[in-house]
Amino acid sequence: MALPATRPTGAVPSGAVLSADQLLEIYYYLRLTRTLEERLVALYRQTKVIGGLFRSLGQEGESVASAYALERGRHKDILSPLIRNLGSLLVMGAQPIEILRQYMAKADSPTRGRELNVHFNDLEKGYLGQISHLGDMIPVMAGIALSFKLRAEPRVGLVYIGDGGTSTGTFHEGLNLAAVQRLPLVVIGEYNHWAYSTPPEKQFAVKDLAEKAKGYGVPSVTVDGNDVFAVYEATRFAVERARRGKGVHFIEVKTYRRKGHAEHDDQHYVPKTDLEHWAKENDPIDRYMQRLLTADLVAEGDLKDIDDRVRVEVDQATDACVDESLPTPESALPGVYVDPPAADKLWFKVL
Amino acid sequence: MAEVTFLEALRQGIWEEMERDERVFILGEDVGAYGGAFKVTDGFSKRFGESRVIDTPISEAAIVGAAAGAAHMGLRPVAEMQFIDFISCAYDMLTNYVATARYRAGLSTPMVVRGPCGGYVRGGPFHSQNPEAAFLHTPGLKIVYPATVRDAKGLIKSSIRDEDPVLYLEHKWLYRRIKEQLPEGEEILTPIGQARIAREGKHLSIITYGATVWKSLEAAEQLEKADGVSVEVLDLRTLLPMDDAAIVATVKKTNKVLIVHEDTRTGGIAGEIAARINEQAFEWLDGPIMRVTAHDVPIPYAPTLEDFVLPQTEDIVKAARWLAAY
Amino acid sequence: MARVDVLMPQMGESIAEGTLSKWLKKVGDPVKRDEPLFEISTDKVDAEIPAPAAGVLAEIKVQEGQTVPVQTLVAILETEKGAAAPAPAKPLPPKAAEPQPAPKPAPTPPVPKPEPPAPIRSGDGGGVQTAEQRLRTKSTPLVRKIAAEHSVDISRIPGSGYAGRVTKQDILGYIEQAPTQQAPGPRPQASGPITHPVSAAWPGDRVEPWSKIRKITADHMVMSKRVSAHVASFFEVDFTRVAQLRAKATEKATFLAYIVKACAVNLRKHPVVNAAVSGDSTIYRADVNIGIAVALDWGLIVPVIKHADELSVMGIARAINDLGERARTKKLLPDDIQRGTFTITNPGGFGPFAGIPIINQPQVAILGVGAIEKRPKIVTAADGTDSIAIRTMGMLTMSYDHRVVDGADADKFLADVKRLLQEFPEGAV
Repeated sequence: MALPATRPTGAVPSGAVLSADQLLEIYYYLRLTRTLEERLVALYRQTKVIGGLFRSLGQEGESVASAYALERGRHKDILSPLIRNLGSLLVMGAQPIEILRQYMAKADSPTRGRELNVHFNDLEKGYLGQISHLGDMIPVMAGIALSFKLRAEPRVGLVYIGDGGTSTGTFHEGLNLAAVQRLPLVVIGEYNHWAYSTPPEKQFAVKDLAEKAKGYGVPSVTVDGNDVFAVYEATRFAVERARRGKGVHFIEVKTYRRKGHAEHDDQHYVPKTDLEHWAKENDPIDRYMQRLLTADLVAEGDLKDIDDRVRVEVDQATDACVDESLPTPESALPGVYVDPPAADKLWFKVL
Repeated sequence: MAEVTFLEALRQGIWEEMERDERVFILGEDVGAYGGAFKVTDGFSKRFGESRVIDTPISEAAIVGAAAGAAHMGLRPVAEMQFIDFISCAYDMLTNYVATARYRAGLSTPMVVRGPCGGYVRGGPFHSQNPEAAFLHTPGLKIVYPATVRDAKGLIKSSIRDEDPVLYLEHKWLYRRIKEQLPEGEEILTPIGQARIAREGKHLSIITYGATVWKSLEAAEQLEKADGVSVEVLDLRTLLPMDDAAIVATVKKTNKVLIVHEDTRTGGIAGEIAARINEQAFEWLDGPIMRVTAHDVPIPYAPTLEDFVLPQTEDIVKAARWLAAY
Repeated sequence: MARVDVLMPQMGESIAEGTLSKWLKKVGDPVKRDEPLFEISTDKVDAEIPAPAAGVLAEIKVQEGQTVPVQTLVAILETEKGAAAPAPAKPLPPKAAEPQPAPKPAPTPPVPKPEPPAPIRSGDGGGVQTAEQRLRTKSTPLVRKIAAEHSVDISRIPGSGYAGRVTKQDILGYIEQAPTQQAPGPRPQASGPITHPVSAAWPGDRVEPWSKIRKITADHMVMSKRVSAHVASFFEVDFTRVAQLRAKATEKATFLAYIVKACAVNLRKHPVVNAAVSGDSTIYRADVNIGIAVALDWGLIVPVIKHADELSVMGIARAINDLGERARTKKLLPDDIQRGTFTITNPGGFGPFAGIPIINQPQVAILGVGAIEKRPKIVTAADGTDSIAIRTMGMLTMSYDHRVVDGADADKFLADVKRLLQEFPEGAV
């Protein structure tokens, strides 16, 4: 199969070996990410998902592979995903029903209907959802990594940033602070070619995101983001290096955003031939499947079983929550502070 | 019992909390090796170690953001802004991320952002600001502003122990200008959200905070002697959440209100206080709610300019006298 | 069998409508869940819309090419699973989450108290007032509250505050000193509700409750007598010259117009007659505003000629006509009956020889004009001989408040008025 235009600068093999079960598990997460998003699109078009929907079509590989390289479980590593890192959330243990409830603004969503999209967290499972201001999660994850360092815990933080996000002030300040403090933080820079409608040529003057890392004194590598194995290996290396106290590592993953910025964006600014190329020649899940089957690492039936399992799982999760109610109006008031416990209800509501 | 300055009391408060709770740590510019631009954290690095007194790059946004991440993980960061004027560089992180964290995501973020504020020191536009108005409409954030030596200590200790994020404003003009004897052996904790009567009075109430508490007390003395007007002075101490009960009580007592603050007139929090008095104590007013504030200009450098722009004791005297005669 | 509604989706926050561009199924076709059912086009995007459930397309509500608002029902599916119906949401099982504290209700504004009996006011049209007037008669929220609680009329209390307003100290001090209903105080009560003694009606009598204007008048008359130390001075004026000027004038002006002018000019010269009493102070009014009492069928009203000293006799005459007309047709504005500084009452041709009017509070003097008619008068010729002449004469009676207007003040004023009328300059009209 044809390789993408930008060639990787070479992932450093870390000697990590994945068992057959693990390979299938990765496949499960890839398939779950894509299927869940397809369901979300359907729900969006049925007006059940409120607000916007942001797909990660084409980027499932790097999200799943990078998260899979962390130590998962209670009080282990922590990552902070962006909206196109649904795969990473699922790997860390977020449940499809939680995602569906978030998107449908249900009262029982992890944020009680207060935040949308994948902006939610479970620090025990190991994920911290973002806020919309891009770059802001880097200082925050630096703070989390700082707590690991201060407590001498062998834990690592991982944070994603898009090609557009690297232009922000908080990206700069956060990365610099983490670097100079030698914090255990891995930064995944997702070069997916599009920041809404803005291409990289209008975003920065370097060719690869990895070049920016040099300015911070941080080692970096560029990998083929649609090669699950390459991303896994590179992340594994960086994470273990950080765990050993060697500080920040920057991994640029080259990939492609195959859908618009959000569902309402028809991508008219993207050449159709590019979309066709990436869909046909460079889909991360197709490549992964081919690799597994060609190398005889798994049986085709195993993959199909996982497809079916995932479909049922997504259906069940949808059915369980699609008719749940939205939060009651007055539930908007509690929880701003610990003390006082709720905001005042204003006088005209009491008339 | 030793007499300590405002700055010394603040330092004691942070020190005591760091002794008491190993989760408390400091981060900011020049706080470690140098001991802080105003020497608030002098000696801390030696006592508590570099890992608990972290010298950061010049990155207010990252300082505040990192403090938030550390707080999520159960630490208790005290982030210093070298001059509170620079908090605007961290406005995004503080208002969008920190203040909303509990409400939108159930995230515990117990942290303190502190820094020297205020003028009367010929600091020019960027070393004299009072930023409270920019943050008053930020649900999820608390704002405290001590005026006395005792409250400098009591409020920093309470702020560090509070489960919510707190913006602690310390007036640089008060740092070394006021002294008080603090009782030894007593744990001084000033409750957040409670105002304090600085002076009892009958005819007129001045509601104020920060350095203007002292100017208001001077004005009250003068009015008592010269005019026989008895002025009550209410020191708010906490700006968010505001102590409505104390405000209403003093209005009911004297029926005339003068709000005094160092911040500008337009958009200064006197407007918010006046609106609350209107809503909650309208029938008790025997005169319009008036205010004494800075002029609507950036704070200028030259002494003649700064003295004109910022509220002075004689401004408060004249305003209170006018209102008392209304 | 269950019914599932299919709605026009919202594809983007600002999108308000969509066009159904193509149906991909027809009525009666089976559909699978998520199978594309129809196509839409909006400003931003064209899209295939999947079926929300498996079933049969039972009804199409919106045709191809139609543009409808977001959320409009476009079709109905019939499904097998009853549970797939999106109608009433399932109640949630009780959650063992932390109890949510009830939101604290915001401090509510005070509920307005029911109004106490309306206190008396004089000269208040009840409509548009200036801020100063409002301050003087209504003061501040606190003072109004105290006044309501004690049924006290603020406008009766002397004010020591800004713009003469009644302050908290003023009203509290007043209430402290005001005698109770039983106490026999030598001080006249300046204010408070006036109760008129009741008498029994006998058989055949007709009892007519007072109209508002009658009550206001009745209360005012009693109060005025209580408040002011009424004294009257009588000056007989020879109106012959004025009569001559009237005859010669191109425009008609009544005797009253000349009297108003003469008073206006001399109120300037004798400001104590153009004053008001407030507590222990005399307010010397800046303007000369002369009120003319008008008797209407339904009661007494006193419209005011503002700045009468600046008007000519003709100007005054026109003002009198205008005010009188508007008074009769009930077209007076509140401002027309406010801020008088002196009052003239003129019963006219059918009036008495002389009367003793009651002062219009809070003024200090009121002039009553007796009937003007031809009477015999002794006139002394230049050589000193006396004869009886026929002259047009009329009696002017001024009641005045001896608290501030002394006899000499009153008499000097009236003497000047008399002189001016008797020697009225030709061209001054």
